[in-house]
Amino acid sequence: MKKLLLVVPLLLLACGRQASDRPRFVELPDSSPLVSFRLVFLTGAASDPPGKEGLAGLTASMLAEGGTRDRPYSEIVDAMFPMATSVSAQVDKEMTTFSAVTHRDNLDRFHALFRSMLLEPGWRPEDLTRLRDQNVNFLRVSLRGDNDEELGKEVLYNAIYASHPYGHNNAGTVRGLNAITMEDMKQFYAAHYTRANLIVGIGGGYPRDFPGRLRKDFEALPEGERSEVELPNPTPISGVRVRMVEKDTRSVAYSIGYPIDVKRGDPDYLPLLVMQSYFGQHRTSAGRLFTRMREERGLNYGDYAYIEYFPRGMFQLEPDPNLARRQQIFQIWIRPVEPETAQFALRLALFELDKLVKDGLTAEDLEHSRKFLTKYVNLLLRTKQAELGYAVDSVYYGIPDFATYVKEGLAKLTVEDVNRAIRTHLRTDRLQIVAVTPRAKSLADRLVGGRPSPISYNSPKPAEILGEDKIVAGWPIPIDSKALEIVPVEQVFE
Amino acid sequence: MKRLRAVIVLMCAALALRAADAPKVFPYAYDLHDLPNGLRLIAVQTSFPNVVSLYIVIQVGSRNEVEPGKSGFAHLFEHMMFRGTKRFPPAKYEAVLKEAGAASNAYTSDDLTVYHATFSKEDLEPILDMEADRFQNLEYTQAQFRTEALAVLGEYNKNSSSPMQKLNEVYRDASFTRHTYKHTTMGFLKDIKDMPNQYEYSRQFFDRYYRPEFATILVVGDVQTAGVRNLVEKYWGSWQRGSFQPRIPEEPPPAGPRDAEISWPSPTLPWVLVAYRGSAYSDTDQDQAALDIISFIGFSESSELYKKLVITEQKVDLFGADNPDRIDPYLFSVVARVKNPRDIEYVRDAILEEFRTFLDQPVPADRLEAVKSHLRYQFALSLNSSEAIAARLARYVGLRRTPETINQLYEIYRQLTPEDIREVARKYFVDRGRTIVTLHGGIGK
Repeated sequence: MKKLLLVVPLLLLACGRQASDRPRFVELPDSSPLVSFRLVFLTGAASDPPGKEGLAGLTASMLAEGGTRDRPYSEIVDAMFPMATSVSAQVDKEMTTFSAVTHRDNLDRFHALFRSMLLEPGWRPEDLTRLRDQNVNFLRVSLRGDNDEELGKEVLYNAIYASHPYGHNNAGTVRGLNAITMEDMKQFYAAHYTRANLIVGIGGGYPRDFPGRLRKDFEALPEGERSEVELPNPTPISGVRVRMVEKDTRSVAYSIGYPIDVKRGDPDYLPLLVMQSYFGQHRTSAGRLFTRMREERGLNYGDYAYIEYFPRGMFQLEPDPNLARRQQIFQIWIRPVEPETAQFALRLALFELDKLVKDGLTAEDLEHSRKFLTKYVNLLLRTKQAELGYAVDSVYYGIPDFATYVKEGLAKLTVEDVNRAIRTHLRTDRLQIVAVTPRAKSLADRLVGGRPSPISYNSPKPAEILGEDKIVAGWPIPIDSKALEIVPVEQVFE
Repeated sequence: MKRLRAVIVLMCAALALRAADAPKVFPYAYDLHDLPNGLRLIAVQTSFPNVVSLYIVIQVGSRNEVEPGKSGFAHLFEHMMFRGTKRFPPAKYEAVLKEAGAASNAYTSDDLTVYHATFSKEDLEPILDMEADRFQNLEYTQAQFRTEALAVLGEYNKNSSSPMQKLNEVYRDASFTRHTYKHTTMGFLKDIKDMPNQYEYSRQFFDRYYRPEFATILVVGDVQTAGVRNLVEKYWGSWQRGSFQPRIPEEPPPAGPRDAEISWPSPTLPWVLVAYRGSAYSDTDQDQAALDIISFIGFSESSELYKKLVITEQKVDLFGADNPDRIDPYLFSVVARVKNPRDIEYVRDAILEEFRTFLDQPVPADRLEAVKSHLRYQFALSLNSSEAIAARLARYVGLRRTPETINQLYEIYRQLTPEDIREVARKYFVDRGRTIVTLHGGIGK
């Protein structure tokens, strides 16, 4: 609640309106022929009631992919089709986002549809059946079956946040989804889709009076109160814990991490952003992990690190906005490695993490990352959807616009700030490891046994690498067999 | 007779006038400039501030992998391009991009390989300089080559958990006999495993294809096109033209129908894929454009079949068609993920029946107009940043080396009639050109 009070004065600055005048608006007009909508409700999977995991996600699906009071879903699709537009929903723990882009030629027609989808949902049983199946199949088939990396990342969050409102997938659980009734969704909608919870982002070439029309639309929603779920601290991790997800697959995908008490707007956020850029910048070839694991040793396709939730990283080079959370984790993502080198790869990642914690960055490393981030932040905002999304996130976190926040904050950073933040928040001794792997027992035995895992290469390597390999091959990862569990993939997300 | 001719002339004039009046689908002015060495530059000034996207399009892809055992090589070579030069070894190359705050990457497809970076406009010159050096003076050791080949195996591994990758491999393999579209861009696994041994061939590959006559440079964003032209001439003018002429094996007429079954090792829902031998990309003939329109009328979210299988009967949860633009005739495919294994045949037959309707009756005029509208707005909505414009252009430039091909293609869409579409459907949707692949995954209610 204290945090909320801090957010409100900044919103007044951002929106120039009275605090009681909800919903809040972020307006970014320009002369483009396109009009972008980004509506964020401050609610999400963390608000799923126990036993109904998936309620926030299914409710959002019903709005974005279901019929309205007057039109079945197929008619909405038909009406949208000539305009080549659609409404997308993204559900995270504390945010539910509806986004769409339309051409200004079609603005009025699109607006009428969008309005009725959000404000006059049809709650049709046939839509519920279809969308429930869709969400169950997302968990059971797509996430378990088609993408070992995303599976590992999501299981990592489940493991770290066990018995916590963040502890289930944003799509829910199979059992939770199957328990949800139409009445549950109507109640969730009534309680959470309120003006107090809504931030409306609108950008592009819309007429000047358009935001006023949107404001009038949302008078149909109840005023409500900001519904913020109480979040306990995640259970501390003692020692090194391992969850292996066993499936018939070619290689081993790892995700490793633990909670950090740092989020956007906190004093240590920018120092850790620099660390992330140096150590594991997403999908570039410049990060330390990438260079040492892939470029020098050819262990896999890539290796990265994060300080914020970053789903779908295998398909995109930049994070999506509107995944803002009050609690975040630090994580390392090791893309699939051959089973024979899986133990060595894990040791190397933890060896590099240890080196990072002990040695930190040099002043030169900081300068490189500072220059990179100061310019890269502009690229993060290069579409109107991204610009709106980041602006909404800034409202949530109570910070200035993201580019200013990053640029001004980075300008003041010293290498001591960065290394102190690393020492404060990062460690190698208490962490959660998730491995999606074939033949889990064999890998488990090797990890617990802790015997050296020397590596050989198909080409000559520099003496420096070979020397380091000797250390890495015996790098201790103290895993107690009691802290290691093997879960058949069929049980995940049930 | 004379009178009739006059009427026809008038009609043609009216048509021409309408075509000229219609706003161009690709709305930006551009500077298209050919250097004496064969390199082409296309520079586009946009209204998006501060940012520039550089896309370097090489007209080489897995289609060019004609020698046995070399599948996947164009893609491997894309990886090798990041192994540096004397002037810019990998660490320095990455440092320059990092200082520029650039988002950069590359991809390979059947017909093209694309290297791209997006950055602040003040960094255009140093990046053009560095990229020109890489395309002319790439150097790597055998040891580096062997290491990078393992990263490609890693890429195969990370993709291999998806049944879609397997479907893609199998339906191409089943559908082609001689043409290199038989294999995916990743390549056959046995060839990927042998890649570390192909160092010599990799040098030959570079020598053949990384030449200016195969390359088009796209610079899109907050730039003055005259200044861009000067920079490209300065840094890329010395690139030496090559002499290699690729000979791609011609695929004989299809002799199907063909069927293939896949048994997937881990639990998944079944998939059904129905494909027909399709058309090559064209901005002059109507075949590919008509097939595009069929893909929307017959199999998009707004199609009757989608509504039947996904929304009403709910037998399928993922459904769609693909008719990609390729240099040589490729495949028109429809794919469905089936919720219950008992419905595999039902879904397959429903898809086949939908194909047959295009042979029997002309498509409704209002549906055709809705698709034409969709295509126009879909294109307009895709131009939402300089990078998005460059990315969209790159795919067409890989086929025809000019943005004008987009306007020509959309003009064909505009002119297509229901009768044209039936004619094209009758030409392509024939049993001998058909491939059906079913993937069984062991789960489903």
